[in-house]
Amino acid sequence: MNSSSTITTSTHFHSSSSCTKILRKRYDNYETRHSALKFNAENEKNKFLILSLKSIKNYGFSPKSPSKLHARNPSLPAEVEFERPLETDGLVVADKLQLLVLEFKSLDEPLDRVKRLLHYAAILPPYDESARVAENRVVGCATQVWLEVEMDDLGRMRFRADSDSEISKGFCSCLIWMLDGAKPEEVSEMRAEDLEHVNVGLYVKANSRVNTWQNVLISMQKRTKALVMERGGKNPPLLEPLPSLIVNHGSSAEAQGCLFPTRLVLPELQTFDERQSLMSK
Amino acid sequence: MMMQVAMALKPPSFRILRKNPQRFRTSPTRIRYASLSVWASTESLADPPPSLFLGYSTRTDFPILHQEVNGSKLIYLDNAATSQKPSAVLKAIQYYYESYNSNVHRGIHYLSARATEEYELARKKVASFINASDSREIIFTRNATEAINLFALSWGLQNLKQGDEVILTVAEHHSVIAPMLDTAKKTGAVLKYVSLNEDGVPDVNMFKQLMSTKTKLVIVHHVSNMLGSALPIEDVVVWAHDVGAIVLVDACQSVPHMVVDVQKINADFLVASSHKMCGPTGIGFLYGKYHHLSAMPPVLGGGEMVADVFLDHYTYADPPSRFEAGTPAIGEAIGLGAAIDYLSGIGMQRIHDYEVELAKYLYESLGTVPGIRIYGPAPSENVYRAALCSFNVENIHPTDIATFLDQQHGVAIRSGHHCAQPLHRVLDVNASARASLYFYNTREEIDNFIHALNDTVSFFNSFK
Ligand SMILES: Cc1ncc(COP(=O)(O)O)c(C=O)c1O
Repeated sequence: MNSSSTITTSTHFHSSSSCTKILRKRYDNYETRHSALKFNAENEKNKFLILSLKSIKNYGFSPKSPSKLHARNPSLPAEVEFERPLETDGLVVADKLQLLVLEFKSLDEPLDRVKRLLHYAAILPPYDESARVAENRVVGCATQVWLEVEMDDLGRMRFRADSDSEISKGFCSCLIWMLDGAKPEEVSEMRAEDLEHVNVGLYVKANSRVNTWQNVLISMQKRTKALVMERGGKNPPLLEPLPSLIVNHGSSAEAQGCLFPTRLVLPELQTFDERQSLMSK
Repeated sequence: MMMQVAMALKPPSFRILRKNPQRFRTSPTRIRYASLSVWASTESLADPPPSLFLGYSTRTDFPILHQEVNGSKLIYLDNAATSQKPSAVLKAIQYYYESYNSNVHRGIHYLSARATEEYELARKKVASFINASDSREIIFTRNATEAINLFALSWGLQNLKQGDEVILTVAEHHSVIAPMLDTAKKTGAVLKYVSLNEDGVPDVNMFKQLMSTKTKLVIVHHVSNMLGSALPIEDVVVWAHDVGAIVLVDACQSVPHMVVDVQKINADFLVASSHKMCGPTGIGFLYGKYHHLSAMPPVLGGGEMVADVFLDHYTYADPPSRFEAGTPAIGEAIGLGAAIDYLSGIGMQRIHDYEVELAKYLYESLGTVPGIRIYGPAPSENVYRAALCSFNVENIHPTDIATFLDQQHGVAIRSGHHCAQPLHRVLDVNASARASLYFYNTREEIDNFIHALNDTVSFFNSFK
């Protein structure tokens, strides 16, 4: 895949109010059917509304061009201004991170955090089915996550991601909201620990094999680094998969009327597919 | 305080089976009757057999079960991954460190002699638990995975040659498949996989078809950690021996739940992990018939495993020492011994009978959840099913289900591939959710789990 040379100028995006409306409707459906849930519904709705407005107002994407990563261009006409009001002097990512952390920190009920993530999942731009390929897999997650990384002409990083799990999709959506369009340095500077408060369903800060946040972020960072080096005319790092990491015994085994595990990718081999994807670029 | 602990814990030095006095004081009248209403409301079992109370009577032995998680009462249904530990085990480990911690086989002083005695007693307890004829047939390892790797590196590399065949099933755990792939690569042996039949369980007939004089090893599970099915292991052993092959049984999911008799099964090797049977982590075992073990080379060199060491060579000790290089996991072995005492105190047959009932109840209850697919056999009079169910619910990722169950309902289940990726590929899914029970679980918990699962399914479906 080449670095994206097309700058998408489409300004089609969900306005925050319509998004919130959809979510509120779904949410109401669930609420009425499940009165037994243990939280204060009224409070939740209000919080939800306020925070959603705050957090999604910068969220722009372009479902009209699903195969191209959407790029922000400073020279775009004023109509796209709405998408990037926070983009000032490289503070973008840090600000967004702070907003996101505040947003999730304010949600005491685990259920609310799950809902918030599902909300983010819902606004993640649709992902091209054809990009759900092995090379794009982020290995190491408990769910399937696909990630595409490109660098645009302005040297900004562009990300697209998808998952078969709604919650993982929510994680990806948050990461993309923060890092899409960021400078490579900003991408590398983000630390998984910063995202602790956004975590749903994970109490361990330590690198867990099932920590989607961490796996996706690390993958974003590695691929960013590789693209930067490629730009600079250097060989991307880790071009060769370490032979010891590939377990392939196809030749010494026979399938017996069943699928045979020709490649057993152990969880530790996280970066295997990433390297493969680098090689195929 | 210390005195009190020491008195309460005075370990039974020479008795292998220790009754748990506290548990047996639990008369039927002390059983919580609140639970009866659950039965009454969920099915018409007028008079549940007394065995059904096992969950209620043993729960008190497990302090960890009595806590809230995310504001709900914990329902721990991830027992196939690891079991919880009763107080008796925790105390035995604490007592070891408080009163006789010392290295084994290395000192003539009192503490060392005491530690050695208890460590070796733990080996005897394991031997008698699985009815091995001699405790020297038990090698302590870190876990079942290490036991399988030890076997593969020792027996496997010594005995397998180019063109030899090894039979496994597609339902094996990664801890069997990965070491055997490595062994096959190094030796040129060929792996043959028994696949699933139309009922979704390993095709027993295929064993017979695959076996030939080329077959040198059959390495299979006893009970599947994903399907909950059991192989007719005694038959498999007979068929294997008929063609001159040896058998290693991965008994990780059977030893904790039923009477396993290695002499009756007549397997050559068998492995299990302590942590799945109420014991601590960090210890497991490889059982091997002594004539096999004594012909096998060591895998690790070091202290304990040697007979005589010279500057240019050494001779190694007899099994089991030969395979236990370095200071072993003494406290853990003693903890495993205490776990075996605890389980034997209840009785493995009783545990098994109780779990068979629970398994049916779990399977039938889960079946009522809309859009669910449960893997493995339907339990019946003739078909055994372990008390675990792997499942998927239409259009909802199992990890999302597990996350929501945990966050909203305090229910702990597993999601993912359960270290059985090849099996998941055969079933054409990427992942599944799994609820797995042990004897301290109750019908009431199953009811609450099903309720929570239904809520989870509606929650995610409301977002569709
Ligand atoms: C069937 C089976 N085999 C092997 C293992 C490996 O056990 P351990 O991780 O304790 O080595 C497990 C545990 O998950 C299992 O369920």
